[in-house]
Amino acid sequence: MEAELVIASSATDAGIGCWDLHSGAEHLRYRSCSSPPHGLVSVAGLFLASSQLRDPSSSSGSVLYWSWNKPHVEVKCFPAEPINPLASNSDGTYIVGGGVSGEIYLWEVATGRLLKKWHAHYRAVTCLVFADDQSLLISGAEDGSVRVWSLLMIFDDMRREQARHIYEYSFSEHTLRVTDIASGYGGCNAIIVSASEDRTCKVWSLSKGKLLRSIVFPSIIDAIALDPGEHVFYAGGKDGKIYIASLNSQGTSNNSYGMHIIGSLADHSKAVTCLAFAADGVLLVSSYEDGMVRVWDTKTHNIIRVLKHAKGPVNNILVVRPPLCLNPQMLLNSQSSSVRRHGSSLPPPLEKYTNSTDEIAEVKAYLSTQPTSNEPLHASYISIHTMNNQIKELQQHGSSAAAGMEMERLKHDCKRSMQMAERWKTMYENVHQFCVNELLDGDQAEGCNGNST
Amino acid sequence: MAAFDHIRNMHDIALKPRLLRTLIREHMPDEKHPLKGPSELSHVVSMVKTHRLLSESLTADSTDPKVVESWKAAVDSWVNRVLMLASSNTPDKCWAGICLLGVTCQECSSERFLASYSIWLPKLQSHIQPPADSHFVKVASCASLSDLFTRLGRFPRVKKDATSQAVKLVQPVLKLLNEDSSEAVWEGAVCLLCTFITFFPSSIHRCYDSAEAAVVSKILSGKCSVKMFQELGHCLALLPKSRGDEDSWSLMMQKILLSINVHLNDAFQGVEEESKNNEAMRLLIPPGKDPPPPLGGHTIGEALDQRTKRPERLQMSSVSTLMRCCCTMLTSSYPVQVRVPIRPLVALAGRVLMVDGSVTQALFPFMTAMQQEFICSELPILHLYSLELLSAVIKGVRSQLLPHAAEIVRLLTEYFKRCVLPDLRIKVYSIMRILLMSMGLGIAVYLAKEVIDNASVDLDSIAYDGGGTSSSSAYLKASNDVLLQPCQKKRKHASTASSLEEQPDRVDLEVGLPKNPTPVSVKIAALEALEALLTVGGALGAESWRPSIDCLLITVATNACKGGWAKEEKHNFLSSEPVLTWADFQLATLRALLASLLSPARFRPPHLAQGLELFRRGMRETGTKLGEFCAHALLALEVLIHPRALSLIDFSSASNTSFDGINNRFPDAYSYGHKRNTPFSTGTLGKGPDDSNLGDDDLYESWLANDDEIEIPVTDDAGKDKSCTEKPSETCRDSSPEKIPLVADSFSTRVPEENRPELVSDRVEGKGGEIMVEAPQFQEPIKQGDSTSRVISDGVVSDHVEGELATKPDDFATGIVSTAMATSNLERSKQLDVDSDMESLPDIVDGDPDSD
Repeated sequence: MEAELVIASSATDAGIGCWDLHSGAEHLRYRSCSSPPHGLVSVAGLFLASSQLRDPSSSSGSVLYWSWNKPHVEVKCFPAEPINPLASNSDGTYIVGGGVSGEIYLWEVATGRLLKKWHAHYRAVTCLVFADDQSLLISGAEDGSVRVWSLLMIFDDMRREQARHIYEYSFSEHTLRVTDIASGYGGCNAIIVSASEDRTCKVWSLSKGKLLRSIVFPSIIDAIALDPGEHVFYAGGKDGKIYIASLNSQGTSNNSYGMHIIGSLADHSKAVTCLAFAADGVLLVSSYEDGMVRVWDTKTHNIIRVLKHAKGPVNNILVVRPPLCLNPQMLLNSQSSSVRRHGSSLPPPLEKYTNSTDEIAEVKAYLSTQPTSNEPLHASYISIHTMNNQIKELQQHGSSAAAGMEMERLKHDCKRSMQMAERWKTMYENVHQFCVNELLDGDQAEGCNGNST
Repeated sequence: MAAFDHIRNMHDIALKPRLLRTLIREHMPDEKHPLKGPSELSHVVSMVKTHRLLSESLTADSTDPKVVESWKAAVDSWVNRVLMLASSNTPDKCWAGICLLGVTCQECSSERFLASYSIWLPKLQSHIQPPADSHFVKVASCASLSDLFTRLGRFPRVKKDATSQAVKLVQPVLKLLNEDSSEAVWEGAVCLLCTFITFFPSSIHRCYDSAEAAVVSKILSGKCSVKMFQELGHCLALLPKSRGDEDSWSLMMQKILLSINVHLNDAFQGVEEESKNNEAMRLLIPPGKDPPPPLGGHTIGEALDQRTKRPERLQMSSVSTLMRCCCTMLTSSYPVQVRVPIRPLVALAGRVLMVDGSVTQALFPFMTAMQQEFICSELPILHLYSLELLSAVIKGVRSQLLPHAAEIVRLLTEYFKRCVLPDLRIKVYSIMRILLMSMGLGIAVYLAKEVIDNASVDLDSIAYDGGGTSSSSAYLKASNDVLLQPCQKKRKHASTASSLEEQPDRVDLEVGLPKNPTPVSVKIAALEALEALLTVGGALGAESWRPSIDCLLITVATNACKGGWAKEEKHNFLSSEPVLTWADFQLATLRALLASLLSPARFRPPHLAQGLELFRRGMRETGTKLGEFCAHALLALEVLIHPRALSLIDFSSASNTSFDGINNRFPDAYSYGHKRNTPFSTGTLGKGPDDSNLGDDDLYESWLANDDEIEIPVTDDAGKDKSCTEKPSETCRDSSPEKIPLVADSFSTRVPEENRPELVSDRVEGKGGEIMVEAPQFQEPIKQGDSTSRVISDGVVSDHVEGELATKPDDFATGIVSTAMATSNLERSKQLDVDSDMESLPDIVDGDPDSD
């Protein structure tokens, strides 16, 4: 099973705790973080970012970055106002933050530029979630409204001016503060589940923009987690119970909890503050007001692990895949240099104001990173291909180059033949000379003989 | 060696040295014997590659030292022979030797390679340096060198040595590029250069500028073949990798963009306003900053300025090469993060796409007709590359495109209106597809209308063989009207062939010949775009465009597949490019059809039956891509046929208000069900037959709504009734093909009569029955429906009780009420098993109805 990390932070400064989900071993504790609810985010697994609770007197907010392998804060950003919820898209390109005034801020991570800021709600924003396909942003606020934003629309000045409102949907059925939002799987058919202090959870359809189901709970729900199969969702209540509410069975109630609620996970504990699912869809991580973190097996309804984070209430839980730089094997790997570079050098801090004069002319982007395999593709060998081409050319006798080579060869042959001819010639001449000499000598000898006789 | 020294079989290691020796002896030239012919060489190479004669890799079972030794000796003699050939002074032998050395470099064992590459390298090296050999030898040496360095790149520990060797070679290679006259040699040199950049980037460091100059001068000279341009462009795009820092990438990009824009300034004189080119330049060189040195360095820049009047055609080919180069830079990998100048890139694409060759009144006197003709002839290529550039930008920056996406979409939609040429339309479709897939729902809202409008026009001609082309302006309404006719006809005649038979007549009557038939490739692109739209945003248009698009797709698919399945014959003479065939088109129609069936809407897919029929027929095409796809489609559609888990959204759409609405409508059914089922978990019941009741009710409503929307009330009442009643029976047929006669009969005959008990027994017989039983509800909505469903659920529920009793006595006996979903999951699956068991065991089922 692949390792996963549980990450927890709290409003009191107990740092960010980090445990291995399956072994329970605690990793590094990142220091000096006091986060508001929904204020902790792992930016595409590259680093941790968290907005910070500030004393009410300070006018600006604060967002801090930690890199995975160092316990202390590495980057400090000071947005124009205190930021409550923080969210980042799955690529880690953007960070969005919801301000206490109801503004939503959208920053580009790589450059820290504040790309957009818009007035989203009348009261403070409480939750921000990206929809599954990353093109929509869902926000909830203290005034009970849940709004769905198309990021494209946010950036499209021309359309924004034409439209009456820039949100796609605005749901106002909740009467009190929205406490948590979860977005389901699937592009346009996704559902959104929102929880509120009015003791209801409501299920919305993203494609129709309609309320599908409203479930009344016995207590205020502060946290929700969607089962990966989406036939139920889990709702953590102020009464310490985690209710299981069904999403696709009929409205039936055969127990004391109420319509659609089919059970609960309970441990006689303090109020549930956060819920998160592990990747296998079985383990559910819950955190409590007393600073504990429990891991439930949703199949057996048993607690399989209890982790202690702090004295104060835990208000953020993340379950993430361990980043590469925390993996000891990766460090030994030859490619780790780049990983380490990416892992440790954090992007610049988020800017406070939009620079309106500076048009967004450039985008800082990772082009696709180096292919991970060291094995070059087999097709990159070219000599056989080249050879075959040349053979074809030779056989067709078409090209000048082929002809040139043929000529070279013929020349060479010719030269050799010439040499041969030369040799024959000399040989012939030698023989000739020899014969002539013989003959002359014979004559002379005969002459001598004749003379003598 | 003895004449009867047989080897075991073809896998015996002992075969390899013997084969190798035979090859050396009989097929390779030596001092005395000349090369018998070039084909001999390819025989040798193919033998070596097939049997891996040089690999010296031993399997576990053959470690006979004698064999090992003999193989080693054979390879030794091979290498010796090859080296001897390579240094021969006869050009053909030398060429053969070099080629074989290249093969040896990639085929031999790692140990041998590492031990002897330093001996092989100088042999190859000597042939690319003066005194010059024949071109053949040079090209072969470049290729073999490239292979040698590629292989070296796999061994990190010799990297240092290899880099220093490469450094020595860079100069001679650049010299080849600069001074040689043969294109084949250039190609070899560029290949080698790319290998250096890829595997030993630091080797180019010192010669970076001269390498850039050499490549750029070739590009700008414009005197190369298309393929050569591609290689050059690729090489130029790779060049910044040799430095690997952010600045060199950005600088290269800026220089290339500048160079393209400068060229365009000349070319577009007269066809675009002056302000455009100033704006493009301003984006590239922000005010107050110095322009970068021209591409390829100052000398080349100046040389270009002097030769101002180069033939325009050559300029255009350079521009397109440079654009392609930008695309490669954007889409290939780079070691560090870079700043992509996204606005200038988009602006450049926009600038080119907006030029259509029309001359404005004011600029009339500055332009001859010949110039205009030339520009118009070159514009399609430029447009194509601009679109390519856009798609590269989208691929390159992915999610960071968001702030610019709206601009790109506007550009594309505006261009799409004017875009006529097939290749360009295909490209635009593909960009839209990429956009849809990458940016999801947000962009689907923007692009839906555009994709639908255009795709409908392009596909329209299919339904009508190009006959009834409608004007593009008010076509959507028109085409809706037109498109729906075949569906209705089909329903009336209940024969699929009718609409086709009618069409040729129509065409003949109206125009004689198909007017402007859209090429198959464009249609495929349009279908793919529709498929992407349905995948990403199918539910968006549930109210508006879904019915007409669904209908369009089923029509297109049935028409495409009517004449049987085309063979996937890819063989085409004298052309290496793949040609899109009718088979591809059929596949594309089926893919789009599957998306249309699967993509959720308010209603059950109205053409499910026809679609299933097509997929079933297609699946019989064994061994084709189409067959595979149909199998996949049937698997995917199974969920629709046996709706095990109807989603939340499907329910609510029926009543649009909340679940209470539904409950109120079937109060009896529910309460009754509960009474009977209290021992069982609610979750289990939720998956029971009640679900399908609701689902079908929903289905019915949506059909009604659908009919209202789609069907223009041409048909009289009787016809409408018929269409309503016919469809469910089709569905039945599909879900349980073996029960067709029974279900169809009972449906059409018994339903109008009040024959309840029989109905119930029918229900039990199979899934198909469920749908059938709902028919009374269809006819008389609520009142009767209540009683029916009560009776039904009664019977069914008792079945379940007994079924579960049979399989899970423990649960029942102890009366455990499991409320948890996790466990109910399990139960549900068990229960489904029970269901299917019941279906497969008719004798049990037959016994049951008595319990009523």
